[in-house]
Amino acid sequence: MPWFLHLALRQLFPTGRRFPFFTVISTVGVTLGVGILIIVMGVMGGFAYEIRHKIVDTEGDVQIKAKGWIDNYQAVLKKVEAVPGVAAATPYASDAVMLKMGDKSIFPMLRGIDLRTVTKVTPLERYMVYGSLQDLDDDSVILSEQLAESLGARPGDQVEIYSPLIVSKLSQDEVYLPREVRIVGILEIGHQQLDTSTVYGTLRLAQDLYGLGSAVHGINVRLAPGLNEDEGAARINKVLPDDIRAFSWEDSFSDFLWVLNLERNMIFFLLLFIVIVAAFSVMSSLLLSVARKTREIGLLGALGGRPLEVAACFCVQGFIIGVIGTGAGLVFGFASLHFRNDIVGWITRVTQRQEVMRRFYQFSELPSHTTGDMVALIVVMTVVISTLAGLLPAWKAARLKPVEALRSE
Amino acid sequence: MSEPVLSARGVRKRYPSGDTILEVLGGVDLDVAHGESVSIRGESGSGKSTLLNILAGLDAPDAGTVSWDGSPDTGARRRAAYLGMVFQSFYLVPELDALANVLLARRILGRLDGGSRQRAASLLREVGLSGRAHHLPSQLSGGERQRVALARALMNSPRLIVADEPTGNLDEKTGDGVVDLLLGLCASAGTALILVTHNAAHASRAARRLELSAGVLAAR
Repeated sequence: MPWFLHLALRQLFPTGRRFPFFTVISTVGVTLGVGILIIVMGVMGGFAYEIRHKIVDTEGDVQIKAKGWIDNYQAVLKKVEAVPGVAAATPYASDAVMLKMGDKSIFPMLRGIDLRTVTKVTPLERYMVYGSLQDLDDDSVILSEQLAESLGARPGDQVEIYSPLIVSKLSQDEVYLPREVRIVGILEIGHQQLDTSTVYGTLRLAQDLYGLGSAVHGINVRLAPGLNEDEGAARINKVLPDDIRAFSWEDSFSDFLWVLNLERNMIFFLLLFIVIVAAFSVMSSLLLSVARKTREIGLLGALGGRPLEVAACFCVQGFIIGVIGTGAGLVFGFASLHFRNDIVGWITRVTQRQEVMRRFYQFSELPSHTTGDMVALIVVMTVVISTLAGLLPAWKAARLKPVEALRSE
Repeated sequence: MSEPVLSARGVRKRYPSGDTILEVLGGVDLDVAHGESVSIRGESGSGKSTLLNILAGLDAPDAGTVSWDGSPDTGARRRAAYLGMVFQSFYLVPELDALANVLLARRILGRLDGGSRQRAASLLREVGLSGRAHHLPSQLSGGERQRVALARALMNSPRLIVADEPTGNLDEKTGDGVVDLLLGLCASAGTALILVTHNAAHASRAARRLELSAGVLAAR
């Protein structure tokens, strides 16, 4: 082992003595920085992952849309299903409606689904908390739990649906009456945006409400496992006419995903300042060490140590503090993520805010998702910043001339 | 005839002192032969430590030359192998025990091997500290610390040891013991010694006694 590495280790962890106070403070600073980065980025990543997951669950891997409607959707379906790598496809019709029950109204999107094929593409059955998709007929709907709560509706209740067709018919002096339907099921997707905006009905019901005839608004496609969405969309586009296009779900929701990534990157940058502040603590403790050990540094030069080796002795200390702090921070961060729901559960129980948590955040449990890339980025950035923090003390140590350092008081 | 272990020719050193320039060394000539012991005495501020630093390659002269074994290379890496140093203030690394402090000289030289630990232990035994090898400097007395420093100076089997007031921080009895050891170990290892001291009794024990006065070395 090179002497400067041996001495750096001994200075950080002296034999038979407790860890120097400044080493502990510096390491704890780095640990907190890394731990908090891991926790926050893990939870942010969890939200993003869950949102992506639920988008794919409800929209499929690929969305096929036309400029207007898709008139002969059966023919399009046949072509799409014949594309290699397409596992299933299902048509849908979706538009805004008004749902009224008593004196309460809500304005969700009503999505008409094809009961024969929908479950092959979107596993909605998984999210049912009451009833089943099979209970759905042309005179019934399935509501999310939050929408049902807003309306004060329960399974078996009747609600009125006012479609946009009412307005267009009125302009032609025709009266189009609201449709009365029964609530046969309640679902909870777990994504507030979807849970507060979507009602499911049959495709026929939606076609009637929107005056589509036999047309649909689009087709959702499930790809075979392992096939990339962009590749799948490209293959499908080859068989589609020019006015109908297939988009991967990432393209369809690119603005939303961009915002998610932007949020994550901003949070990462802001939290990185904790590590930078911790690095200043590393730097100040090493600068203090250089000042305290001036004569020792002179001795090392007198014994034949080169300035670069003396510099390395202090730079390595920054590196070691960075590595240990990062290791401890990873343990702290991942342990906190592991027990996150227990911790949040305890806090919400103590503050009696379980319901508020569920309503205002998009998930009933705190999600977590960490990627190797993100962990590697945190580790590399922290170790590099800590090592850089050792550069100034190292430079000051290397500049000391042995003869002057030995003479110092 | 073999080259002297150390040779200095016309070494001059000046320092600014207020508005004037103070000439501390005014052309020092010195040859130290293999295994020879030389003592240098002088008043405080006479430039003894400055001369020693220049001879050890820690400082550069304003004029003149210093060579070790005929070579002008007095750089850090060569110093580690060629020269051992003993200081008035011991300068042990507080985080290292006595054995590790002795081994540090070999580590810096980059020649730490299986025998290094045995040699360090043997040197500690020679300076009477075999039972204190794993004691930290803070657990040793002043005399013991200086003996550890002595063992460290000898660790790389140097050709020359320069000792700058090695008894300056020790009581008379302990200082006598350290000088005994220093002279004895150098003699037995065939190592040349330059001993800078205030103490006339200690200086008189060297084979050659010099005095630095008015920036010039002269025999006493």
